[in-house]
Amino acid sequence: MSVDKNLGASATPGASLSMGRVAIARLRDLALLPALVALVIVGSLVSPVFLNPNNITTILTSSAALALIVLAESLIMITGKFDLSLESIYGFAPAIGAMVVIPAAQFGFGMELPTWAGIMVVLAVGGLVGFVNGFLVVQLRLNAFIVTLAMLIVLRGMLVGATSGRTLFDLPDAFYGLMVITFLGLPLAVWLAAVAFLIAGLVLRYHRLGRALYAIGGNPEAARAAGIRVERVIWGVYVLAGVLAALGGLAITGYVGAISANQGNGLIFTVFAAAVIGGISLDGGKGTMFGALTGVLLLGVVQNVLTLAQVPSFWIQAIYGAIILGSLIIARFAGGQVQQ
Amino acid sequence: MLNSLKLTAAIATVMVATALPGAVQAQTAPKVAVDLTTLTSPFWTAYNKYIEEEAKAQGIELLQPFNSEFDTAKQITGVKNAVTLGANGLIFSPFDTSAAKTVLETAAGSNVKVVAVDVAPDTGPVAIVVRADNVAYGEKACQYIGEHVKEGAIVQIMGDQASINGRDRGNGFRDCITKNFPALKLLEIPTKAWSGEDAAAGLETLLNSTPDLKAIYMHAGGVFLAPTLQTLKRRGLLHPAGEDGHIVIVSNDGIPQEFAAIRSGEIDATVSQPADLYAKYGLMYLKLAMEGKTFVAGPTDHGSTIVEVAPGVLEDQLAAPLVTKENVDDKALWGNL
Repeated sequence: MSVDKNLGASATPGASLSMGRVAIARLRDLALLPALVALVIVGSLVSPVFLNPNNITTILTSSAALALIVLAESLIMITGKFDLSLESIYGFAPAIGAMVVIPAAQFGFGMELPTWAGIMVVLAVGGLVGFVNGFLVVQLRLNAFIVTLAMLIVLRGMLVGATSGRTLFDLPDAFYGLMVITFLGLPLAVWLAAVAFLIAGLVLRYHRLGRALYAIGGNPEAARAAGIRVERVIWGVYVLAGVLAALGGLAITGYVGAISANQGNGLIFTVFAAAVIGGISLDGGKGTMFGALTGVLLLGVVQNVLTLAQVPSFWIQAIYGAIILGSLIIARFAGGQVQQ
Repeated sequence: MLNSLKLTAAIATVMVATALPGAVQAQTAPKVAVDLTTLTSPFWTAYNKYIEEEAKAQGIELLQPFNSEFDTAKQITGVKNAVTLGANGLIFSPFDTSAAKTVLETAAGSNVKVVAVDVAPDTGPVAIVVRADNVAYGEKACQYIGEHVKEGAIVQIMGDQASINGRDRGNGFRDCITKNFPALKLLEIPTKAWSGEDAAAGLETLLNSTPDLKAIYMHAGGVFLAPTLQTLKRRGLLHPAGEDGHIVIVSNDGIPQEFAAIRSGEIDATVSQPADLYAKYGLMYLKLAMEGKTFVAGPTDHGSTIVEVAPGVLEDQLAAPLVTKENVDDKALWGNL
């Protein structure tokens, strides 16, 4: 039992550390922690293996891809915009990258480029879609919600069209690398997500560029008056988000071992759920990376606990939703902040 | 037979020619509408391919198949559009039985003959249902696992429980295990909308609590095969059949990738869901129905039996063979075509 307790403490190392450093005013970012802690306690009661290092690894591994795409969405939401098409990039980018590599017999385009070029194509496609989204939102001043909703549908349709709905099996090993290659017992994707969150968190907090995102999300006119190149920053964030979503898609490809034409379908709801319960405001200008990360981990822990508990399958979705509702209520009272 | 086929084809061609320039001529050109449940699973894309091939072979004019994407509203709209386009026959898969009633009433109101494929509606009017028994899928998998695993924990990775096929496979497997093999401890991994990600995350979690898992039944190889194998590979638990620590895996669908995995010993068996026969007999029955023929219960000429499953609902229950290493190279299996 004492072993379990130690492991429990090491499972959330950031919690106590940042607690000391962060001022009361920033409590909003930590609002979800009590709920997360409560869930961890419930989990350890439900199953003795919950706090087992293997299981912690499982939670982190299964959350890595979601973490990357939530990071992307959070950055966009902080600038006061939306990108619904991220869920389609998550499937479209890896599929196109794979199809330029695999032979036509395996439903590729028949170009058979080297694998590294395929990986580059994955990232480039993500960036390109982000660039187009940015162009439509910034230059043509179209509504971000509607434009990216249209882009979501277009890309989903292009993926189904390009693959004729078929699942791409037997990809080159590099496409699974983010999940197969491990470092200190954790897959590369987990490290990648952790580093990406760390960098994003530091830049948002301390760097001029990061502060600019908050300024734009809070009041774009004031930000422009303060000398921030609003359009250019927003456009850049869209491109970055596209690349991050493509990386997330590559991570899930490694996790699942194939790319189905359905990859990422409906995921955007989960992405918004994670970001918003993590304290990212739908109105822009508010929220932190740490908060978004707790949102991701909360969803990962809930799914893990429900599986370990062997909840009857007909009820699992209802209970999943109820736990998220409960967590929001706990967060409301613990953080004392109104969810936005 | 051949002559009549040619004749029908010729008539159809003439009809197309005459129908093209003018307005839609609903009652003159026999046209068939096809509803597809989804276009993003290997099984359904294969079925779509066979529908097109069989329609050509049987000389039937197809409207562009419409994709319902597991959405009842889309299915009803699709059927209404098909009626507007002048369809005389409809092949559809009532994945949701509540939608089936509306669809069947819409069709009957416009004198459109209907054949249901893959799933049986609760009530008619329907010319006939062509499907394999999904409860039997689960039972076949259960029997195979029960014969090869004496005791310990086993798991079923389940399809969407809001779909009748997911429920039938799940209940068939569960009931059979609890009744016949009490020494086996059954665990379950539910998935939302047949999600491969849910399958991978669930399996990995269960491997933490149950590292000595003895067997796995996947409700759909098309979506669960890759995540299952990938997860086992990552955990170092993928041992081919015959080696120590091999986990008995039974899949469901009968796609080529499953056959490859059976040959390499990564999985042990799969239930071959007859995508080709669904298309072939679905279209054959529909053609006969459009000619005014009706059907009766009893054995058929292709080794299956027509059963009256509900008052007025006839069902041709096609065989869904269990494929193992012994018969995986059988040329009659659609996964080998």
